[in-house]
Amino acid sequence: MSFMQPSPVKYACSCGILNPINKLFFCRHCPKLRCGFCVCHEIESHFCSNCLENIPSTEARHKKNCCANCFDCPCCQHTLTPRAVTVPVVRKTEEPKESKEKKEGETGEDATAVAPPTPASSKPSAVPTTKKMYYLSCVSCRWTTRDVGIPDQGVATGTWPDNECLYQARFNALVEYFQAVVLQEKQEKLEFMRRKAPKQHKFPSLTDRTGLTASLIRRQIGWNDKSIPKAKPVITPAEATAEVEGLPADIFTEQLNLRNVTTIAQRHSQPADQPTAVGSLYPQRRSLWIKRSLRCRQCEHNLIKPEYHPTSIKYRIQLFASYHVPEVVMVRCEQPPTAGKSNAILLKFTNPTMYDMTIRLLTAVPLEDPLMADEVNRIKEEAISSSPLLRGVTLARQNSTREVKREVNDVSNAEIVPLESEFVLSQRDDSKEFDEYVQLPTEEPKFIVWRKGNKVLIRLEFTPATDVPVSTDVVLGFFMQYTYVNTVTNAPEKKEPTTHALHSRVFITAGAAEQKAN
Amino acid sequence: VFTHCRIKIMPKAVVCEESNLRGDITFSAGCVVHPSATVIAEAGPIIIGENCIIEEYATIAHRLVPDGEWDNTNILSIGHHNVFEVGCNVEAARIGDKNVFESKCYVGRGVTVSSGCVVGAGIKMNTGQLLPENTVVYGAQGLQREAIDKQGSQNLQIDFLRKVLPNYHHLRKPNYDPKKARSVV
Repeated sequence: MSFMQPSPVKYACSCGILNPINKLFFCRHCPKLRCGFCVCHEIESHFCSNCLENIPSTEARHKKNCCANCFDCPCCQHTLTPRAVTVPVVRKTEEPKESKEKKEGETGEDATAVAPPTPASSKPSAVPTTKKMYYLSCVSCRWTTRDVGIPDQGVATGTWPDNECLYQARFNALVEYFQAVVLQEKQEKLEFMRRKAPKQHKFPSLTDRTGLTASLIRRQIGWNDKSIPKAKPVITPAEATAEVEGLPADIFTEQLNLRNVTTIAQRHSQPADQPTAVGSLYPQRRSLWIKRSLRCRQCEHNLIKPEYHPTSIKYRIQLFASYHVPEVVMVRCEQPPTAGKSNAILLKFTNPTMYDMTIRLLTAVPLEDPLMADEVNRIKEEAISSSPLLRGVTLARQNSTREVKREVNDVSNAEIVPLESEFVLSQRDDSKEFDEYVQLPTEEPKFIVWRKGNKVLIRLEFTPATDVPVSTDVVLGFFMQYTYVNTVTNAPEKKEPTTHALHSRVFITAGAAEQKAN
Repeated sequence: VFTHCRIKIMPKAVVCEESNLRGDITFSAGCVVHPSATVIAEAGPIIIGENCIIEEYATIAHRLVPDGEWDNTNILSIGHHNVFEVGCNVEAARIGDKNVFESKCYVGRGVTVSSGCVVGAGIKMNTGQLLPENTVVYGAQGLQREAIDKQGSQNLQIDFLRKVLPNYHHLRKPNYDPKKARSVV
């Protein structure tokens, strides 16, 4: 399996996009292939990638999705680590001696790391109470908080001063104003709806019968309105000026020291003030990362659900395609692909499931499985016949994230010779790898080169089209029909596992077409 | 053929027996040379300043120009308190004081390193240039920046090494040579 290299084998997802199998998921209830574009992404939890601390979502929103303890270096965007400096606090007026120590810990938050050796020459007259002061330093570019003048802190985390943005007050005022405006508009809309469509209660009130309202009567007798008119939110609008302060006179004469000018990446990583001088770089709080869960848009079932804890990389629900769909790996092309010349490709098929699988390679869409069509219809009916309370929710969700059907682009430019028969892949049996390989004396179709456990190597003949220009990729396409045993049951009554014949479209990039040798 | 092979080790310098030293090399007082370090003086003598640390698999070379020959006056002078970390390959023309050459960096022959510089891990400096003082070379693209804060002192480390290395390795004996004038460049 080629790691870190794009896979030449691509599957067509149910939404039409081609993806290698490691980017695909398999919905067991549909049952269809899904990719990252046709599923719903939902945020499960927030965590900091450096200190691996889980942050609840409300706190994350309050802190603007930033970690409280971890900082990024403004110079190279790596993580800053706190480093300790032992400063003796002496009563007499002596110069404090600084002995720097290196901290070996990864997070550096553990303040009780290496014990510092006492300063070599401690005068017995003074009382050397030592204190640890911390500064942040970057291991990759050796930038420290002392470079910009931030004073050392007595505690490793938590007390680093925030760089207040110049416009923070104005920004907060604007946010409050717009929140008030939104609230007011919502209330006005509610009022309007109430006036236009009054609800019919069982017991009509005086107002309903006679049309008199309390506010009418109050106006008649001369009293003020009962409810004080709400104060409209108001804000001073920003004033636009055409005056810009002029360029300093020495900008043309003074030598530019490029080491003091920030790079564009450094400026963009500090979007609040975007400093132009290196002396104004400030450590930025590290952004939080999220854990996502994926949900099929059609049947609303979870495809991927990760573990809650940030240190765990396992999943509670993992419906990756490579656990359910047979994996096709291109081993090699027998000869370099040339336009018009017949060739053969070796493909390795692997059966990841616990059941034997029958595979056929077809050149045309196979007939729809009647059993599967039934199931799909049943799922649709179930969704519709659910209780009216839920109906509004599900329909609303379906409307907003509708499945986009795309036609699969047939990018193949080679003709394949379909295999004579179907072949069987035995189930995945982990215990078999310890048994000795026993050659079964059964008749194998001729296109099977070898078979081992749940893997099979197939020889497939193909001919690239004659009009393929040199050095474009030759792509083979076929429909792979495989049997899938569905062990999950959605219906209330218990059923045995059903077998479906599913099919996926596979495209294989065989390589760049070479010059035809004459 | 190294007919001028002469290694002078000042007192208090700790030079392991298993280091590869070729040519005319002078280790000033307090230097620490780990085993498997390589110092090659092909084109001329090398004088290494006080309290330098040369770690394992570090290579300091004074290479010959393609058609050159040994020249006794072509001295590569390395300053004090330099650190050559594991696996670095330094062929610079001149090196100042208090520099740090991080692991697996390569400093080519045209580069002149002044004082207080840090050449980051894995950085390859092939072009000839003068590295100004207190420059840090970092990152995949070899960006340079000026370090305002001085780099940490290696005194603790070097004291520790001087104490511990003799317990585990054979050392070359210092051949006392205090009167040799070190040419200051």
